[in-house]
Amino acid sequence: MEKGGVKAWIDGDETAHDMLRRISAVRSSLLVPPLHRVPLRLGNVVEIVGPSPSAKTLILIQVAINFVLPREWNGVRYGGFDHSVLFLDLDCRFDISRFSQMLTHRIMEGNAVGDCDKTLYDLCMQRFLYARCSNSFEFLQTLKTLHCRLKREKDHGVSVHLLLIDSIGAFHWVDRASVFLSPKENNRKKLFLQSVSEAVVQDIKKLLQEYPMLVIATKSIIFGNTYSMASNEVNRCSRNVTRSPQQIQYREYMPSVWQSFVTHRILLRSSDDQPATSNYGNFSFYELEWLLPRIGLPDKIVVKDTGVFVDSRTMFAEGANCG
Amino acid sequence: MAPLKCMEKDYPLIDSHFQSFCASHAIFSFEDFLLYDLHALIASADNHSSSNTLKQGIDQLLSVIDAKLPSLRNGLQLLQDAECNKLLLPTGFQGIDALLGGGLRAGQLTELVGLSSSGKTQACLTSASTVAKQGGSVIYFDTGNSFSPQRIADLVGQTSDYVVDNQAELGPLQRVMERIMCYSVFDIYQMFDMLQQLKINLKSKIVESDHHVQLLIIDSISSLITPILGGRGPQGHALMISAGYLLKKLADDHNIAVMVTNHMVAGEGGTSKPALGESWKSVPHIRLLLSREYDSNVCNISTLKHPSVASGRAAKYTMYL
Repeated sequence: MEKGGVKAWIDGDETAHDMLRRISAVRSSLLVPPLHRVPLRLGNVVEIVGPSPSAKTLILIQVAINFVLPREWNGVRYGGFDHSVLFLDLDCRFDISRFSQMLTHRIMEGNAVGDCDKTLYDLCMQRFLYARCSNSFEFLQTLKTLHCRLKREKDHGVSVHLLLIDSIGAFHWVDRASVFLSPKENNRKKLFLQSVSEAVVQDIKKLLQEYPMLVIATKSIIFGNTYSMASNEVNRCSRNVTRSPQQIQYREYMPSVWQSFVTHRILLRSSDDQPATSNYGNFSFYELEWLLPRIGLPDKIVVKDTGVFVDSRTMFAEGANCG
Repeated sequence: MAPLKCMEKDYPLIDSHFQSFCASHAIFSFEDFLLYDLHALIASADNHSSSNTLKQGIDQLLSVIDAKLPSLRNGLQLLQDAECNKLLLPTGFQGIDALLGGGLRAGQLTELVGLSSSGKTQACLTSASTVAKQGGSVIYFDTGNSFSPQRIADLVGQTSDYVVDNQAELGPLQRVMERIMCYSVFDIYQMFDMLQQLKINLKSKIVESDHHVQLLIIDSISSLITPILGGRGPQGHALMISAGYLLKKLADDHNIAVMVTNHMVAGEGGTSKPALGESWKSVPHIRLLLSREYDSNVCNISTLKHPSVASGRAAKYTMYL
């Protein structure tokens, strides 16, 4: 090796500072409320785990609204990211009127006059793309054809930067029970569940290479366990049940190929001290905890008509409760 | 599981050469193709001598998939569909209508949970009679012989339009009763059969078009599913989830409101919890809890899950017998 070559090799290509600057320019990090504790960037895969009901879909809707709103419109600063969103509904339960309601509230509160700007509303609604799947094969079909569909949307000037999957574990039981016979001379017997998950992860990875997106998926806890989860639901109004402050342990049921694909994980659970909901109006309280990266302090989030917000006033009161 | 061989007739690009290329990757059917890594396949086709024709075959398969799937819809189209087709269906049952802001929504699966004799069957019968009075058809799957035509006649006769004691007035009552089709279903496979038959009938529009099916009631779905849950295999849960998807697809495609009832089982600490377990919780759109105060006609109804209403929102109503 020449002398200049060795020296150049030792000096390196770029300093860490230069590299950070280069990456931040290409993929800037976003703070997406109510998940703003941890900065996210396009290419991250976030998993939101929680029992049912726990506002998981509402968080997805909130994030979607933040993405479709423009940064500024008619002099009003909305602070959105100005991109399109794709929602894959695997649970087949999405309610568009809830999305519309939250979007209208958001537009109205930003507007000085207090009315809803119809052009802005239409623009945002058009940026929200939706597809629904009722089994794993439909899901795979949708992922495989997403390349050319996104390309078509891109040609119309619409770029999708957020992929929302409602309930990645929706077909878990059906796939586990599927006996997929294939005339393969394969010694290694692969479970159908495993094959499907690998195919899904591969397809999403390839999709992310060409269309960098932030992926957020919800996952319901389907193996019921602790005392707190079951009794909380029915005894909401009669609070003679004292809940011991222990964490909900949930069993991971997704195959390891998906688990290692996930870069961030959040756990949602219903809150300890629920006020009497009948008097409090249409509010619900939940606890949001970051498992990956691990932040010991859970946030309290409140679900109102207008959206999902982090309840800042009770944040410090919960300081003693960290695990 | 469509083998690739069968597609050769309609799509000439999927010829025997392409099929043998796929067979070398252990792809024999359409589903195998879906599970295989697409880019690896394309890369392997590149290395082949006749890469162009192979890639054309792959593109052909992809366009077949693309043609079968519905196109991506945007928010405005969804909202328009919801406003035109997915209408609210008043049930006539005070508690439900009060809590849901008008009634059941077409296209959604609503679940009523409650202990025994908390009013679930009454709610079903009241909803059936109200919808039938308004002119829609009702399909009622009765799993426990609890359907009562006399009760329906009473409920219908409670309004002034249908006075039953006069022989001449039986006509309108009879018409209302004819719109409620009641089937006795005693196991889940029978329910699947009937739902598939319903799907076929609705698709081919055999049913008369002036009485659209607006409401499907299954009282109670838990008695069909509970016998097959349990055991260590996943088959029971898989059937339950598939039933859920079938009902939701029927509801969405044909603008039907589906109402199912569920019973309660013992939970931890002496409390009761809804039956069918954790996996069932993510199936219905809306879950309502009914309870009756001891020895009285006053009932409580509260939301367990609703997309817009907070859980625990409650309403009281008095049940008339």
